Amino acid sequence: MATFLQQLINGIAQGGMYALIALGYTMVYGIVELINFAHGDVFTLGSFLCIAILALLGVSASGQVIGGWQGALIALLVILLAALLCGVVGVLIERFAYRRLRNAPRLAPLITAIGVSFLLQGVMRNWKGPSEISFPQFLPNPTFSYGGVHIDARELLVVVVSIAMMIALQLFIYNTKLGKAMRASAQDRDAAQLMGINVNSTIAWTFFIGSALAGVAGFISGMYFGTTMFTNGYQAGLKAFTAAVLGGIGNIAGAMLGGFLIGIVEAMTAQYISDQWTNVVVFSILVLILVLRPSGLLGEQLPEKV
Amino acid sequence: MHRPLIIVVALAVVAAGCSQQSSQTSPAGSVIKIGIELPLSGADASIGVPTQYGAQLAIKQANEKNLVPGFTFQADVLDDVVGSRHDPAQGAKNVQTFGADPAVLGVVGPFNSNVARAEIPLSNSLQLALISPANTNPTLTKGPDAIAMRKDHPDQIAYFRVCTTDDIQGPVGATYEYTKLGARKAYVIDDNETYGKGVADEWEAQFKKLGGSSLGHDHLTSGQQDFHALLTRVAGTHPDIVFFGGNSSTGGGLLRKQMPDAGLGSTIYAGADGISDNQFLQDAGPTADDVYVTVASVNATKLPAAAQFLRDYQAEYNQPVGPYSANAYAAAMVLIHAIGEAVKGNGGKAPTREQVLDQLRQTKDFPSVIGTFSFDANGDTSNRIISIYEAVKGKWVFVTQQNFTGAH
Repeated sequence: MATFLQQLINGIAQGGMYALIALGYTMVYGIVELINFAHGDVFTLGSFLCIAILALLGVSASGQVIGGWQGALIALLVILLAALLCGVVGVLIERFAYRRLRNAPRLAPLITAIGVSFLLQGVMRNWKGPSEISFPQFLPNPTFSYGGVHIDARELLVVVVSIAMMIALQLFIYNTKLGKAMRASAQDRDAAQLMGINVNSTIAWTFFIGSALAGVAGFISGMYFGTTMFTNGYQAGLKAFTAAVLGGIGNIAGAMLGGFLIGIVEAMTAQYISDQWTNVVVFSILVLILVLRPSGLLGEQLPEKV
Repeated sequence: MHRPLIIVVALAVVAAGCSQQSSQTSPAGSVIKIGIELPLSGADASIGVPTQYGAQLAIKQANEKNLVPGFTFQADVLDDVVGSRHDPAQGAKNVQTFGADPAVLGVVGPFNSNVARAEIPLSNSLQLALISPANTNPTLTKGPDAIAMRKDHPDQIAYFRVCTTDDIQGPVGATYEYTKLGARKAYVIDDNETYGKGVADEWEAQFKKLGGSSLGHDHLTSGQQDFHALLTRVAGTHPDIVFFGGNSSTGGGLLRKQMPDAGLGSTIYAGADGISDNQFLQDAGPTADDVYVTVASVNATKLPAAAQFLRDYQAEYNQPVGPYSANAYAAAMVLIHAIGEAVKGNGGKAPTREQVLDQLRQTKDFPSVIGTFSFDANGDTSNRIISIYEAVKGKWVFVTQQNFTGAH
C-alpha cells in the first residue's frame, strides 16, 4: 500500500508538470485551432531562462541553500521574470510565425510550428550547450514521511502551483473582459471582430498566457529534476499534448485532469508492468481516446463549425 | 545528337584517369588521411573529445617523427552525435563519407557499440579498416551477429578493436562488487542499447553465479528524464546495489541523481565504462558517492610505456587524459604502423585499403602505450585489462586493475 501511495505521489508530481504545459496547448488550440508544437520548447526555454536569471542574482548550481523569506522572494522573482519572458517569446512566435498563416490550410501552420520548435531547440543548444545542464537547487527541501510514504517540498510545490494556476486561469477566462473576448474569439472569430473585439490582440494575449504558464512549468521542472536539456521539451510537449487530448482539447479543467492522469498512469506502469512500457501505454491511451472518444473525457469546448 | 555528350563523357574519363594516376605516382609529401569517427558533441562530448585528442596526438607525432617516409598523415574528423547523443545512422553516413574519399586508408572509431553495428557491415563491404578504441560488446566480433555483419567479405575482416569486451568487463565488475564491496542483492537497469543491455546481462549473470540475487532488471526509454517511478519500484525491493548498463548520455547520471529522492541515496551504484566520464559526475552531482565503474582499458598512469604519452598529451591539450585517450592513441598508432608496412610492401607507393588491412590482420606483439598486443582472427585484442574506478567527491579515483591477458 505504501508503494502504491508513493507511486501515486510520483505520478501526481510528474502529472502536475504535464498539466501546466497542457494548459498552454489547450488554450491556443481552443482559440486558433492550432497545435502549437513549439510549446514544449517554450517550456524548456523557461528552465533555461530561470538558470540565467538565477545566475544574474548570484545563485549558482553549487548546492547553496537559501531558506526563509529570502529564498521565497528569489523563487517568486525568478518565476515572474521567466513567465514574463516566456510570454513575450510566445507573443513573438505568434506574431511572426503564425499570424500570417491564420487563414492558410491547416497543414501550413502545423509545419511552421515544427519549424519553430527546431529553431528554439537550436537556439538553446547553442546557448547552453548540447548536454544536461544543472539547475540550482537553492530552496530547502524538507521531506515529510508518514507510514513509509515520503513527500517532499518540491513535489508539494509542483502540485500546489499547477492547481493554483488552473484555478486562476479558469477565473480569468470566465470573469474578466479579456477572458470574455477570448471565449468570443474562440466561438466565432469574424463575429467577434464585428462586435468590436480586437481579435489579433486577443490571440496574442492567449499566446502570452499559455507561454507564461510554460515558463512557470520550466521553473518547477528545474526544481524537481535538478537538471534540464535543450531537447527535453519535445517529449514533455508530446505527453502534455496527450494530456490535453485526453481531457478534451480546449477544455482547461480537462487539460488538468489529463495531465494528472497521464502522470499517474506512467508511475503505475513503471511499478506494476515495466518502466520501458510507459510510453507505449501513454500513447496507446492517446490512440484509444482519438478513436473511441475524440472529444476527450470532459468534452471539447469548441463550438460546432458547420 | 549524342556526340557532344559522348565527348564530355570521354573527357571526364580521361581526366579522372589522369588525376588518379597522378595521385598514385606522386612522390614524397603525399597526404594519407586517417578518419576519426567518434561522438564529439552533446552529452557524449566529455568522453568522446579526449578520445579524439588521443588519436590526433598519434597522427601529429607520426608526422613529426616521419614514421612513414614520403607521406604526411592528416586527421579527418567526423562526429556521430545527432541532437544530444550518438546515432548509429549518422555513424554509417560518416563511414560512407570516408569511403568516398580515396585518400582515407583507415578509420579510428567508433565509440559506441550500437554505432559499430551500423558501421561494421559498411567497413567490411568497403574494405576500409575500422579500429575502435572503445567498443566492448562481444557480439561485434564473435558469434552469429558478427558473421552476419561481415557477410560481404567473410574471410577479410575490416573491424578491429584495442579494448577488451564486456564478457570480461561485466564479470570483473560483478566479482569486485560481490567480493570486495559485499553486495548481495542487485537491481539491474540498462538503457536498452547494444552496449548497455549487453554489459548489464553479463554483469547480472556473473553476479548470480557468485551467489548474489537479482531483484529485477528494467530498461530505460531513450530520452527519459523522470526516473522517480522506476526508482520507487527499485527501492521497494531493498537492493544493496543498483547496476546500470549504459552511458551518461542515456541516463546514467540522472538515474543516480534521483536515487536519493526514492531513499536510495546510500545504496551502491555500479556501472561500466559508459558512465566513467565527467558528464556522469556533473549529472549525478558532487554528493554522488559509492559509485563504482569498470573501464575496459589499462590505467595509463600505471604503465611505464605510457609515461611519455601522458606528458605529451598534457603538453598538447593542457588537460589530463580521458578514460579512452590512450586506447585511441594506440588504435591510431597500430593503423599508422600498418600503413607504413603496406607502403614498404608496395615499393614506397601509396598502398591500397586492402594492403593496409592485410598488414593490420597480421598485427602481432605490437608495442603500444596500453601494452603489447596482437589482433586475433576476429579482430579482437589479445590485451585483456579491466580497470576499476570509484567516484569520490566529484572525481574519478583509480582503485585497481586486473589483467586477463593469456586467459580466456
